[in-house]
Amino acid sequence: MPIPQTPASATPQGAGQSVSWADQMDDLEASVITADNLPEPRETVSGDTRTMVSYRVDEGGKIKKVTQVYKEVRQQVPKAIAKRRTWKKFGDAEQDNPKGPDQATTVIADDVYLTLTTNREQLEHHDDDPLKKLSTKSMVTCRICKGDHWTTKCPYKDTLGSVPEMEEVNSKPVTAAGVAAGGTGAVGPATGKYIPPSQRGDKKPGERGESFGSRMQQDDQATVRVTNLSEETQESDLRELFGYFGQIKRVFLAKDKITQQSKGFAFISYELKDYAQKAIDALDGYGYDHLILKVEWAKPSKVQH
Amino acid sequence: MRPLMLHGHERAITQIRYNLEGDLLFSVAKDSKPTVWYSSNGERLGTFNGHNGAIWCIDVNRDTSRVLTGSADNSTRLWDCETGTTLSEFETGSAVRSCMFSYSSNLFVYTTDATMGSVCEIYLYDVRDLEAPVRVIPIEGSRISAAVWGPFDEFLITGHENGAICRYDVTRSGHCLQSVKEHKALISDLQPSSDQIMIVTASKDNTAKLMDSENLEVLKTYRTERPVNSAAISPTKDHVVLGGGQEAREVTTTTTKAGKFDARFYHLIYEEEIGRVKGHFGPINSLKFHPDGKSYSSGGEDGYVRVHTFDSSYFEFEF
Repeated sequence: MPIPQTPASATPQGAGQSVSWADQMDDLEASVITADNLPEPRETVSGDTRTMVSYRVDEGGKIKKVTQVYKEVRQQVPKAIAKRRTWKKFGDAEQDNPKGPDQATTVIADDVYLTLTTNREQLEHHDDDPLKKLSTKSMVTCRICKGDHWTTKCPYKDTLGSVPEMEEVNSKPVTAAGVAAGGTGAVGPATGKYIPPSQRGDKKPGERGESFGSRMQQDDQATVRVTNLSEETQESDLRELFGYFGQIKRVFLAKDKITQQSKGFAFISYELKDYAQKAIDALDGYGYDHLILKVEWAKPSKVQH
Repeated sequence: MRPLMLHGHERAITQIRYNLEGDLLFSVAKDSKPTVWYSSNGERLGTFNGHNGAIWCIDVNRDTSRVLTGSADNSTRLWDCETGTTLSEFETGSAVRSCMFSYSSNLFVYTTDATMGSVCEIYLYDVRDLEAPVRVIPIEGSRISAAVWGPFDEFLITGHENGAICRYDVTRSGHCLQSVKEHKALISDLQPSSDQIMIVTASKDNTAKLMDSENLEVLKTYRTERPVNSAAISPTKDHVVLGGGQEAREVTTTTTKAGKFDARFYHLIYEEEIGRVKGHFGPINSLKFHPDGKSYSSGGEDGYVRVHTFDSSYFEFEF
């Protein structure tokens, strides 16, 4: 069956360029273009591309030169489609550009991407969350542990006992309680920051009030730090494991506030230092829950000077 | 890909539809002018002026000579596609929610809303005799929100406001043949596969389901996090595209990102999401694949119709 050639359909290729100096020089051959002296749209045809040059005045009063390049595409189509191509525009479209798509109703939109993938994560990855971008570029520094995450997202922010490493990073001595409050607590009196009641008044530096902190200090003597615990670890598991070596006074397992899952480290205070030593000897390097435990002396949390 | 953005409507698009060959794209919106476009280059061919209310549905017959529109101005109109003139107008008691020609295009149906004291009804007409409807079927209970013809024009599949899907023997007895309730909320769209043996439903309960059109058995379920307004099956690949997003009335209270206005591609068989296309500033109300499967269009609450022609990478993808 013979399939006729369609009359050319026009596809706009690009539009909306501002007047460049070189273009203006070209146009100056004819006359100077002013807002009330806009030249008629000009069309040049070369081969299968049609170039429309027109001028318009934009909202700011500037004259814009609009160059539209159309490529004529010839394709073989069924008779019925070819016939419909010759239909006259009707209704509101009567006023449209009779030769092709009208700028007022047909716009070429910005590029969009469709990447087909079986990987769900990649789909989520396309969502450009500005906050996510920030954190990957390590533009943020945690005030507590100096990691490249927000302070509010710090894994150590809720821990009661402070983690030794981070104390070394913090040049200023901070109490364990101070760390728990997000590192904003008790510092020297000169800074004008909040001072806990126990340290107010005429106490000498280093002298502490009768507070919860001093009791913890004693605990430090027989306390071991356990790291590399699995997420599923419970406090009772630790009591069972560490109770073998002697009477335990206190077990502190760092847990996530919301999920209540272990954060991977814990402190265990024994009644006697000997028990702690035994535990370290026996359990450091011990395989537990598919992970290898690291058990060491808890460095005493630094106290106020 | 660079989509064509068709901006002929002043208000939210309610439905879009291709003709049989796919060279023309019809769109209707909550303004009163159905519009027809050339799908290849986005050129506006014409508008069908005459309605004076929001338009909910449009269909074109097999040889693209007649166009049928149903409007909230309580009328259905039959138009001449080439000239845009009204051939017939049918007054109804309430808004017309869905309308369509049968496969042969000798019959057409439209369904009305249950408002202003009138009940929801299915009207069946014969194009060759427009004097009176062949049959009027009153619907008890929940109103029809979407409808599609079954294979061989044997029955009409209707989606209801309460999530039920029914088969009506419109041509012979007018009885309800079967009713299933697989969705929990309003059915917003029903679309057949190219061979009509399956339909895909889109529902406000955040899911779309693939059903056997003969017995309304659920074959597959596609889940999202937002209400689905439209779903379409690719005629060439095993893909389903879902469009929707947060309800339009809730848009002002959240960010664009939270709205999830992307068109989402799912694998027809594995029910897994395989891709997304961004673009609309509001929920997508209607989606259609071009009959050749090489492009698809979406109409959104933002009033734009976007025509996307797939890049070659789309055709190379294998699951």
